[in-house]
Amino acid sequence: MSASSETAEQYWSWTKPEITTLNQPFWDGLRRHELLIQKCKKCGEYQWYARANCIHCGSREVEWVRSSGKGKIYSYTVIHMVIGNSPLFNRELPFAVALVELDEGPRMYAMMTDCELSDVKIDVPVEVVFRDVAPDLTIPMFRPVKSQGASRVF
Amino acid sequence: MVLMKGRVAIVGYGETPYTRPRAERGQPRLTAEEYASWAMELALSSAGLSKSDFDGQGLGVTGTIYPHAEIWSAEVAQNLGITPKMIIRADQGGAAAASLLIQGALAINAGLVDMFLCIAADAPLSMPTASASGARTWRYENDYMLPFGMMGPNSIFAFIMKRHMHQYGTKREHTGKIAITQRYHASMNPVAYLKAPMTMDEYLSSRVIADPIHLLDCCIPVNGGLAFILASKEKAKQITDKPVYLLGFGECHNYTHGSKNRPDITYLGIVKAAPEAYKMAGIEPKDASFVEIYDDYTIAVLMQLEDLGFCKKGEGGKFVEQTDISIHGQLPVNTHGGQLSAGQAGIGGGCSHIVEAARQLREEAGQRQVKDAKIGVVTAIGGLAYGVNLVHNAVMVFGKEV
Repeated sequence: MSASSETAEQYWSWTKPEITTLNQPFWDGLRRHELLIQKCKKCGEYQWYARANCIHCGSREVEWVRSSGKGKIYSYTVIHMVIGNSPLFNRELPFAVALVELDEGPRMYAMMTDCELSDVKIDVPVEVVFRDVAPDLTIPMFRPVKSQGASRVF
Repeated sequence: MVLMKGRVAIVGYGETPYTRPRAERGQPRLTAEEYASWAMELALSSAGLSKSDFDGQGLGVTGTIYPHAEIWSAEVAQNLGITPKMIIRADQGGAAAASLLIQGALAINAGLVDMFLCIAADAPLSMPTASASGARTWRYENDYMLPFGMMGPNSIFAFIMKRHMHQYGTKREHTGKIAITQRYHASMNPVAYLKAPMTMDEYLSSRVIADPIHLLDCCIPVNGGLAFILASKEKAKQITDKPVYLLGFGECHNYTHGSKNRPDITYLGIVKAAPEAYKMAGIEPKDASFVEIYDDYTIAVLMQLEDLGFCKKGEGGKFVEQTDISIHGQLPVNTHGGQLSAGQAGIGGGCSHIVEAARQLREEAGQRQVKDAKIGVVTAIGGLAYGVNLVHNAVMVFGKEV
């Protein structure tokens, strides 16, 4: 790490997404602590991540709607090494990332927080929490509905 | 069904040694251009052809992690000094070389050209400066995965492996047997990067990267160059007395087993591609003398053994436990050591399985030659999808005879 404070700040910064006109509503929603996913006006199906059309029926009439933020863990991993991502994540090693199956249908990758690693299991019911990780960036994480512990991540 | 059984053959191939490249160990630091040139020379020599034979023929080029250029095939044609009639460039990641093979074979079968020279070279470890960056592989990774704490392919495959273990009771001892057997094969492969024998203890205790993925579950990134030459059946017979015929192929892209939102991620599109390839070739899985399976991770091999029909879904662990998958056994798997041990030459890595199948069927595999090899099955997968597994899936069947 460089001694320059500016470089240090960049070095320890959260990995930023590219915010486009397509995905901006999602990121804006997170700033308000709302988890938005897309819903098709034609067939009523949901989807995540941001697309320009419904992946189910092909309609371009997709709108952003608020997810319940509830779901269950479909699969997960415990990260032990930071590879290809910001060194900032070294602070929390080891930490769990889950593939959460939202009640509306789509699955979403997200970090697990407010629990012990041993609480992270397949089929465990979870709910969304929001972390303001930078002045202009909020990231959704999930915690078990039950068995919440003190091990906060970021 | 496209009737292309035996219409096109591989008549030559090339594969350079793989390096990391470590100057302190005397390993050369070459560029992708140098690897492309070297691979071409080896393939031409193997086929007894010269570069000028490809003026007016086909040229196939995979992309590269480094250097990254969108208009890459134009650069490769200029660098090699070839004037092809047609060029194809594939961007299917690990399945890019398979795509070149299939598209090239289609062009030959259509009568557009008699031959295709396919080049798969990459030097992801030869970035000249620390600030240089390789190709951005998936945009959705930057936007929807990295900010969420994901760590690239290792973490994606960790989810797949965890789910496979959960649904079917698969154990790390099962994937360990794959890693250990492939290392044994690599010990007999002169171009392989990792040749030292591996024990089960070493496998099980190797460093955890993204649980349940450990270091020895992952392929080893290297620099390298690969190439193969395709020719029509008629042309092939003029070029060589050992043509390796393409008997069948199948592809499936963006497959989800179940609903699009909630697929079973333990199934790959290989489950759809394999029956097509077998049908065209007129074979069943039991006819395979060996199988070269795209192996970015150990669990990918195990899952594909299931999807290829060597055992039922979920029984890959038991199958690997009960089957000798070495060159001496009932079903030799990744006889070159695969990307797990020989090395993954960036985007070119998926070409090694095709080249090894050709080598085995020409009986040119030396110490690791599979006895009486008649039919080889080869897979390719590429493009890690969000929340699923691999977007691109291809299966090819090769034979000594039609």
